[in-house]
Amino acid sequence: MAGIGADRLQLAWVSSAEAQRFVEIATDTIAAVKEQGPLDTVALEMALEAADMTVNNPAIRWLVGKEVKITANGDVYGRKWDVDQYETALFKELEREFQKSMIFLAIKKGCKSVRDISREIGLDLLRISYLLADLEKTNQVEFTGMEDSKPVFVAL
Amino acid sequence: MGDFEPKIAAFLCNWCAYAGADLAGVSRLQYPSNLRTVRVMCSGRVDPGFIIKAFKQGCDGVLVSG
Repeated sequence: MAGIGADRLQLAWVSSAEAQRFVEIATDTIAAVKEQGPLDTVALEMALEAADMTVNNPAIRWLVGKEVKITANGDVYGRKWDVDQYETALFKELEREFQKSMIFLAIKKGCKSVRDISREIGLDLLRISYLLADLEKTNQVEFTGMEDSKPVFVAL
Repeated sequence: MGDFEPKIAAFLCNWCAYAGADLAGVSRLQYPSNLRTVRVMCSGRVDPGFIIKAFKQGCDGVLVSG
């Protein structure tokens, strides 16, 4: 989502007796990352910051923590979710938080109107307006008035 | 890209992968030295925030192994 590239993050299980396997995994990981080339942290700075905000978002953390409960025992309404359903919901929520964080950072960087934000992060205008309403409700951004008949926002 | 040597943060579980890496050393198996190891007591200790932080601070890749 943040544009880091999935190959850069690897997860592998190695037992303490499997030295050979560890060497293979280390070699494969290094080869995979080499192929990706150096990570451009300057270009990705905003996306990484937004990703950081997303993974540290309390609501996301609660949702992740409740996975087993929701898929095995059911939610508070007694509905049981299957894993696919849960993962789709989680992904949507992650995407939403990530986009909100990007908007927040864009405003912090000095974008004022919805069009400015859209130009900065490449999200469509409608989605931005929609998420801005959310950010306003949680007191992360504030509507400060109109400028050339466009609404202007500041990050709090 | 010939001589690009990536920097990779490796979060290794003390009881599994770290011991595996240790054994690789003891048994003189060679592997490239691009990994910067962080020993954790369990791979469950690895917070998604750690991974993002590693990328932010300039790692080209992250390996979580347990």
